[in-house]
Amino acid sequence: MVHIWPIGGGKGGTGKSFLVSSLGLLLARSGKKTLLIDLDLGAANLHTMVDVPYPEKCFSDFVSKKISVLEDAVLETPFPNLFLISGAHDNLDIANLPYDKKNKTIMSIAKLKYEYILLDLGAGSAFNTLDFFLASRNGIFITTPEPTSIENVYRFMRAIYLRRIRHYFSTAEFKALEKKVSEHSGDSSFNKPEHIISVVKKEHPEKYMLIKKDFNSFSFKLILNQLRKQDNVILGEQICKIIKKHLGVNVDFAGNIAYDEHVHDAICQQVCFLDRYPHTRAANDLRELNRKMSNSFGEQLMLNYL
Amino acid sequence: MEKDFAQLNYYEMLDIKPDATALEIRGAYNAALQMYHPDSLVSYSFFSQKERKKILALLEMAYFTLIHEKERDIYDNELIRTGIFSADEKTPAIKKSVNIFDINRQKDASGILKFGMAELKAKISQNQRIREILSRQEISGADLKEIRNELDVAIEKIHQETKISLNNLNWIEDDKTEKLPAAVFLKGFIKAYLKCLCLYPVDDISNKYMSTLTRVEKK
Repeated sequence: MVHIWPIGGGKGGTGKSFLVSSLGLLLARSGKKTLLIDLDLGAANLHTMVDVPYPEKCFSDFVSKKISVLEDAVLETPFPNLFLISGAHDNLDIANLPYDKKNKTIMSIAKLKYEYILLDLGAGSAFNTLDFFLASRNGIFITTPEPTSIENVYRFMRAIYLRRIRHYFSTAEFKALEKKVSEHSGDSSFNKPEHIISVVKKEHPEKYMLIKKDFNSFSFKLILNQLRKQDNVILGEQICKIIKKHLGVNVDFAGNIAYDEHVHDAICQQVCFLDRYPHTRAANDLRELNRKMSNSFGEQLMLNYL
Repeated sequence: MEKDFAQLNYYEMLDIKPDATALEIRGAYNAALQMYHPDSLVSYSFFSQKERKKILALLEMAYFTLIHEKERDIYDNELIRTGIFSADEKTPAIKKSVNIFDINRQKDASGILKFGMAELKAKISQNQRIREILSRQEISGADLKEIRNELDVAIEKIHQETKISLNNLNWIEDDKTEKLPAAVFLKGFIKAYLKCLCLYPVDDISNKYMSTLTRVEKK
């Protein structure tokens, strides 16, 4: 059974690639065959983080059919059990991955024979990012305790939510729904999926039940990165509480990662943070996080795409 | 997906059980204020200004109903009558001990203490409406309430800072002259209230308030 963990969060610079590489390494060290895929299309960095400065093949080769199966695009890293599909030499237009190629990619990812597959997603809430995030039920949100980053993660969550609702309707149906929603709760309400869902509940009760069931089967997680000493340590739990209460989506708070200057140093030196500074606060937090997460997700993980 | 916030019952709004003690209710309200206050990082950008105002008003209403024993009984009976919770849920067999002292207590990060004197003063000097109220000769409890709302300070915060009972604070703000304490106490309360909101000069404003009050009473 493959575990797919997409990691996203809306804002850039919150530590998505750092988290993917660190968690990947920890999983690999615990004997799990782990693959990291750099899906930050057009702004790939992951290869640098896992010490593969000159990747020979990349994700783009698969998209352009130079490589026929995704498995062949996998690179070995200097770390045992850890593998990478890099985005380093992706074509410059890779960010605009067409719909069919995206579907093919998601299908291929699910067929890969690894125990853990971590997807490093890009910033923003483009459809590609959202769909990759929704490829698994175990999406992980990451944010930092700053208003900018929190604003973006809320946007990202709402975009995910809306995208998922959208999967249940045909284009025409959705247009009609859109119209009803704006009649019902004003024009700007369309930015709030919680308004849409209340209309769905009234107009399409059978679909509402399906969507509700669907969302209950998701097990999202939230990680708060770069927490400084003076920051509010229960911020993450409070965010999850608000999401649950007002959006109706279950997001578990996975944990905090302390802010650490050493992360910057390790990246500049292009060495693995966990090896270079194993006894820092942040490294401890990462190990703790990994321990908690690999236990809590359980076995169920299926490809999840309509 | 779930119920709209306005449709929740007061216990759900504050995330407490039907048998919560007054202390728990107060704690829950403070926690909620931390989350929904306009300066809170947690709910930053999550709500529009209008939504936030509405939520804060609902929370305040929930808090005041539940903290007041008689009103809470009336409310509980209403909930029992409509079948939202059963009568035995309300009366617990044995009360558990309640933590009075929170050892892991974080520094209070919300409200007044956080944005401190300087920010309150800045808000006051920028706000046209507040300056206009303060420049009047007559100042009533309703005016004080308006200023407090303009400054986005919850009445609970004032209660915590000044230790004036919530009932007294409400009576002052609602101009319930018949219920107000004797003038000598009242003047002290008003001064504490003004200091808490950084409204200076305290003596001047409290004098205006007291004279307004006596004039009303004479009529």
